Amino acid sequence: MTILNKKFTKAALVAVLAGATALTAFSASAAKHPVTGEELAADQTYTYRMLDGIPSLDPQIVEDVTGSEIIRDLFEGLLNQDAKGNLVPGVAMSWEPSEGNTVWTFKLRDNAKWSNGDSVTANDFVYAWRRAVDPKTASPYSWYMDIMSITNGADIIAGKKQPSELGVEAVDDYTFKVTLTKALPYFADMTAHSTTFPTHQATVEKFGEKWTQPENMVGNGAYKLTEWKIKETTTRVRSESYWNNDASILEKVVTLVIPDENVALTRYKAGEMDRTAVPAGQYPELLKELPKETLKFPRLCTYYYVFNVSDSAPEAFKNVDVRYALSYALDRNIIVEKVTKGGQIPAYTFTPAATAGFEVPTVDYGTWTQSERDAKAVKLLDGAGFNKENPLKFTLLYNTSEGHKKIATVAAQLWKSKLGAEVTLANQEWKTFLETRNNQNFEIARSGWCGDYNEASTFLDLFDSKHGNNDGLYASDAYDAEVRAASSSSNAAAHYKKAEEILAADMPLIPVYHYTGVVMLKETLKGYPIENVMLKTYSRNMYKVAK
Amino acid sequence: MIALNKQKREKTVEILSNVDLVKGRSLWQDAAVRFRKNKAAFVSVIILALMALLAVFGPYISVWSYEEIDWGLIGDAKANGQPSIENGHYFGVDNLGRDLFARTLQGTQISLMVGLIGAVVAVSIGLFWGAIAGYAGGRVDNIMMRIVDILMSIPSMFVIIIALAVLGKSIIVLFIVIGAIGWMDMARIVRGQTLAIKNKEYIEAAKSLGVSDQTIITRHVIPNLMGITVIYTSIMVPSLILTESFISFLGLGIQEPLTSWGALINEGAGQMQYGVPWQLGFPLAFFVVGLYCLIFIGDGLRDALDPKD
Amino acid sequence: MFLFIVKRFASTIPTILILMIISFVLMRLAPGSPFSGEKMPPPEVLANLEAKYGLDQPWFIQMWRYITKIIFHFDFGPSFVYKDISVNDIIDQGLPITFIYGSWSFLVANLVGIPLGMIAAIRHNTWIDYMAIGVSIGAAVLPNFIMAPILIIIFTLWLDWLPGGGWNNGAWPNVIMPVIALSTSYMAIIARLTRGSMLEVLNSNFIRTAKAKGLSSTTVIFRHALRPTLLPVLSYLGPAFVGMVTGSLVIDSIFVTGGIGQFFIQAAFSRDYSLLMGITILLGAVTVLFSTIVDILYAVLDPKIKL
Repeated sequence: MTILNKKFTKAALVAVLAGATALTAFSASAAKHPVTGEELAADQTYTYRMLDGIPSLDPQIVEDVTGSEIIRDLFEGLLNQDAKGNLVPGVAMSWEPSEGNTVWTFKLRDNAKWSNGDSVTANDFVYAWRRAVDPKTASPYSWYMDIMSITNGADIIAGKKQPSELGVEAVDDYTFKVTLTKALPYFADMTAHSTTFPTHQATVEKFGEKWTQPENMVGNGAYKLTEWKIKETTTRVRSESYWNNDASILEKVVTLVIPDENVALTRYKAGEMDRTAVPAGQYPELLKELPKETLKFPRLCTYYYVFNVSDSAPEAFKNVDVRYALSYALDRNIIVEKVTKGGQIPAYTFTPAATAGFEVPTVDYGTWTQSERDAKAVKLLDGAGFNKENPLKFTLLYNTSEGHKKIATVAAQLWKSKLGAEVTLANQEWKTFLETRNNQNFEIARSGWCGDYNEASTFLDLFDSKHGNNDGLYASDAYDAEVRAASSSSNAAAHYKKAEEILAADMPLIPVYHYTGVVMLKETLKGYPIENVMLKTYSRNMYKVAK
Repeated sequence: MIALNKQKREKTVEILSNVDLVKGRSLWQDAAVRFRKNKAAFVSVIILALMALLAVFGPYISVWSYEEIDWGLIGDAKANGQPSIENGHYFGVDNLGRDLFARTLQGTQISLMVGLIGAVVAVSIGLFWGAIAGYAGGRVDNIMMRIVDILMSIPSMFVIIIALAVLGKSIIVLFIVIGAIGWMDMARIVRGQTLAIKNKEYIEAAKSLGVSDQTIITRHVIPNLMGITVIYTSIMVPSLILTESFISFLGLGIQEPLTSWGALINEGAGQMQYGVPWQLGFPLAFFVVGLYCLIFIGDGLRDALDPKD
Repeated sequence: MFLFIVKRFASTIPTILILMIISFVLMRLAPGSPFSGEKMPPPEVLANLEAKYGLDQPWFIQMWRYITKIIFHFDFGPSFVYKDISVNDIIDQGLPITFIYGSWSFLVANLVGIPLGMIAAIRHNTWIDYMAIGVSIGAAVLPNFIMAPILIIIFTLWLDWLPGGGWNNGAWPNVIMPVIALSTSYMAIIARLTRGSMLEVLNSNFIRTAKAKGLSSTTVIFRHALRPTLLPVLSYLGPAFVGMVTGSLVIDSIFVTGGIGQFFIQAAFSRDYSLLMGITILLGAVTVLFSTIVDILYAVLDPKIKL
């Protein structure tokens, strides 16, 4: 009976759909992509999987990558990125630095509209940027405005100055000017980030925190939010008021929250989604099974183990030879080829090679063979007084996750089998882990870092002795001097190179690998920007072709 | 007069207790005989004992240790990691090339211990709490059961996080915590049953004879709760074993490279679709067999302890 | 009876208050902060966040504010993690969902479990008994984190009968798999409790007397044996019902129902203090309510039990 019912419903649905298709047949079948001429699918709905519910859809508040992905559709900032990661106009048509990169002027287009019909003006940006640093907003990402070096930004966040004193100005309705405390050559790139997107003052003030609910939200992006169920789904449909709406092809974008990656894959295979993640370790198999749907691309992220080198550190780790030995003996190839299996890139430097304007220095140990490294490691450790009779003992801390567990297990066994070290594995749930790591209550801890913008400072600043995420409390004057000089130098690459060489010499961390993104993507979905290392997706640049 | 009365009462109590004791002993002997007659339960005990022996002595016949990585098979489980006698991986290997035979046995040790110790903790707290609350009734009952309500409402994950942060991470703490979470359902069931039992004629008879409450609870109420306790314990043990896996899965339980049935099943379940069935199959088989045994033993015990059967 | 109900509801208030205070203190004891992350915000930013959510105040003032807000405005405050919505919103969104699939599961678990247990007890040690035990254990041996993905593989990927997840406003195809996965283990426990309890009752004197009087076995079972049989089962059904209607992490996260169950774990892990408090209080209220109902039902089933 139930089956019959189901079949009946299906049949009815097919009939209705067929009728509808017949009615619109002349337009649907004729739809071709304006540039490539590919035949477009009748149903332009793009559905993808999210790992978890998004915490916020407020551009100034959002922290996570998945939230930002939705926000890029709902709002448009000054500048966007194209499929390769190059800057292209957004609300700003042109931009220009002056006074040695310390003043930036953006000319805005006059046809950008909010979804309620208002024009998008420079004042909206002034409002949003002040809002981002306002202590009352308490944006967890306000520090981003700080590293953008906007005049008075840091003082406003610290409550020492008023938000109105921020170095931003609406010269006229369509001219937006930013004053910086120091020269920042890559400033324009940073305006593609969601924290800098405009927000509609009247709406925010009227609805308070609830302004991002679908019934309240006013955005200026190519899509507008029609549904948001925290742990279930979000839906966005194309916005008629977007200035370039004619160029959008996707009608509707749906996200489904599916925490379990294996279940997500099952549902992807059942045709419920166009995109999902490749479950850990399954890339080679899926590539064999579905070669055209399994994609891999580099990401700006690094996986590493950080040594505690603070005063509370174990005596052994204060000896650089011990740190060398552990780094050398960690066979990165085994980890990327046998454990993670997603084409990750073995790392010997902190900054990924894919970072724009970054030249990877040749650090010695990166060029040796693994057996050379192993031999060196045994010798160094022996020299430091550790051997089979007096084994090096330490604890490797990681946060709970299947992936981290596997890597830590293999690392421990590598160190054990090659160096005779006795490694204890300790995993902690996320928040306890963060507390432990942040208070230097560890010996070696797992870490990961993803770039916020495509420039090496987003990585290398991390080991500045003053950086809040420098969990091992590494402190080197020479290193600090290099990274601080780089930010306003015309030859930043040279400083970055030097900084990496210092890291390799001091070894306060063991770089393990640089991330790759591995996704399953239906062949019919085009325009997913895998060549953009920041993976800045814009649904209006994607489309679905007919099978 | 009063003294005499008291003396008399004490004597009666003494006689009564002795009678009870004698009767009690024969009850247990009876039970043992009856239990041995129950084939399913008896076979289950043997299987479970074999399993425990294998868990303890198995590592000596295993070629690999539970933590060792077979570097030739790491990351190659699907193609070459299937169960094999030649390379010593009787149950195959996991995705890191570790021997599943050794790991399953090691996991059996942990899981049986979790089930046993957790159950002992949960049963002893739950039985006494429930019996006292139900027997006392009124205000005491109300307060004791509201405490249970409160404790049940505090998210257990949070209690575990704090317990492990405050008491430190050790297997013993884990056992105690698991037991401490499990006792509340037991307390409720016991209390409900006690409410019914305390109105029975024999309890009222004992009361009118002046037997102390303490004696009534330990001699009359608790023995009559045995049936339901045994049944519920046999249900609880598997859920404790799974709770451990859930806690470990969330990063609060045992630490790698140690493992447990739950952890192995969980890992294997994640690989269900990827052509390595032995990773789920062997641990699950151990778990299922162990669970069936426990349940048959529980039924056997219940039947054996029911003197009216 | 009426007096009992009034008294019990009166005792609910101090119970919930104590629960609030205990959970509040526990939360402050747990290591970690709701605002920490892989990218640790700088101290100034952290200070702003703490000020916004009132965490800069001494803990007793926080607690006072928090409790009075709940009592006078029924406002659980903003979620610390889901920054755009309040705890009330989250509960409003999730609770009805969980309540629906939980109630169905409760119904299914009882309608299958109790008769199964009764049949097994009546036909004690016959093949019917063994089969009933077998079925009920079989249902319990597969932990639901294994059963749930298998259900999806079978019904979504292979047969294409049911959607693999989502709630879709409670459309029945979306409800079926969560109900199956949630009810089976409860069903097994109910069946086993019923069987054990019924065996004991069937062996008791008054049933023997009833049988001796020549009453038909149907009469004996339904008139005399059923009520005392259900007593211990009832003790279990209270917490079981609470457990089902408050959902489960596995069900919510695998079938993406959007229910409240997942938050019990996730709020604890993300240190979302207000959300955790909100659902703890909610759970507390439901728990107390159901233990009251169970107590009333005791008196109904066994008139000798005095409340």
